[in-house]
Amino acid sequence: MPLAALPENDLSLCIPDLKSKKKDAALAEMVGAAEAAGLVSGRDLLLELLKLRERLGTTGLGKAVALPHARSLTVREPRIVVARSTRGIDWQAGDDMPVHLVLLTLAPAEWSDDAFHALVARTAASFRLQRTRQKLMSAPSPQEFAVASRLALA
Amino acid sequence: MNTIESVVLLSDLDAMIREAQSPESRTRLRKLGFDLEGLPRVMAARGKLAESIDRRWTTSYERTQKRYGRAVAAVRERVCSGCCLTLPTTARPRDGDAAAPQHCEGCGRILYWA
Repeated sequence: MPLAALPENDLSLCIPDLKSKKKDAALAEMVGAAEAAGLVSGRDLLLELLKLRERLGTTGLGKAVALPHARSLTVREPRIVVARSTRGIDWQAGDDMPVHLVLLTLAPAEWSDDAFHALVARTAASFRLQRTRQKLMSAPSPQEFAVASRLALA
Repeated sequence: MNTIESVVLLSDLDAMIREAQSPESRTRLRKLGFDLEGLPRVMAARGKLAESIDRRWTTSYERTQKRYGRAVAAVRERVCSGCCLTLPTTARPRDGDAAAPQHCEGCGRILYWA
C-alpha cells in the first residue's frame, strides 16, 4: 500500500499545529497520534526508543526539518506522521535553526535495513524542495495541511 | 515497564546499535544528514537496560539473538512475525513479568503480543 494512501479526510497522521514546545514532548504528541490511529501497540516503548535514537545523534536535518525514525516491534504498519510547529522546536539541528516540520517515520521491526533506509531517504527527499516546505508551512487549514502532506509524500 | 516490554525495547535498541555499527548503514545514514556520534551513550543505556532485566530472560534473549539476529518476534493476528506460524488458539499472552519468556513453538523466538 502506498504510504500516502489514506482516506482523503483522514487527518489522524497530520498534526498541523504541534502544541509541544520541546523535542521530547513533540515526539510524545506524534507517537500519541500514531497510537490513536492504531499503528502502534506500545506507545511508551516507541517513545523511549525514539528518545534513545536522539541520543545516538540528532535527527534534525537542518532547514527547519527533523526526521525522527524508528523500526520497532511496536509498529504495526509503515507510516509517516507529519507535524508542523509554527513557533519552532529546538531539535539541536546542525544549523541551529528551530524545527518547523517533523516527519516521524515508522516501520515494523521485520523491515530490512535496506527497506527502512529507502523509506527514510524517500521521506527526506519528499520535503527537500523549499516550495514543498513552504506549501506545508502556509497551509491555512488542517485539511489543506493534510492535502499538502499527502502530495509531498505521493 | 514490565519484563517483556524491557526485552522488546532491548531488541529494538540492539537493532539500532547494529545499524549504527554497520559501515554500510553508517555511510547511508550520514549521506542523508544524520549524525551517529552518540553511539557510546546509547551502548551505555543498553547496558543499564539489560542489567535491569531478570537474568532468566536475558539468558534466553541472548541465546535466541545469537541464533536469529532478532530474538523477539511480534505476534500479529495470532501469527508469529518471525516464522509466520499461526499460533494455536490455546496460546495466550502471558503476564509480562512471568518467570520465563514465552517462545514461539515454530522458531523459538520470544513472543511479543503486539
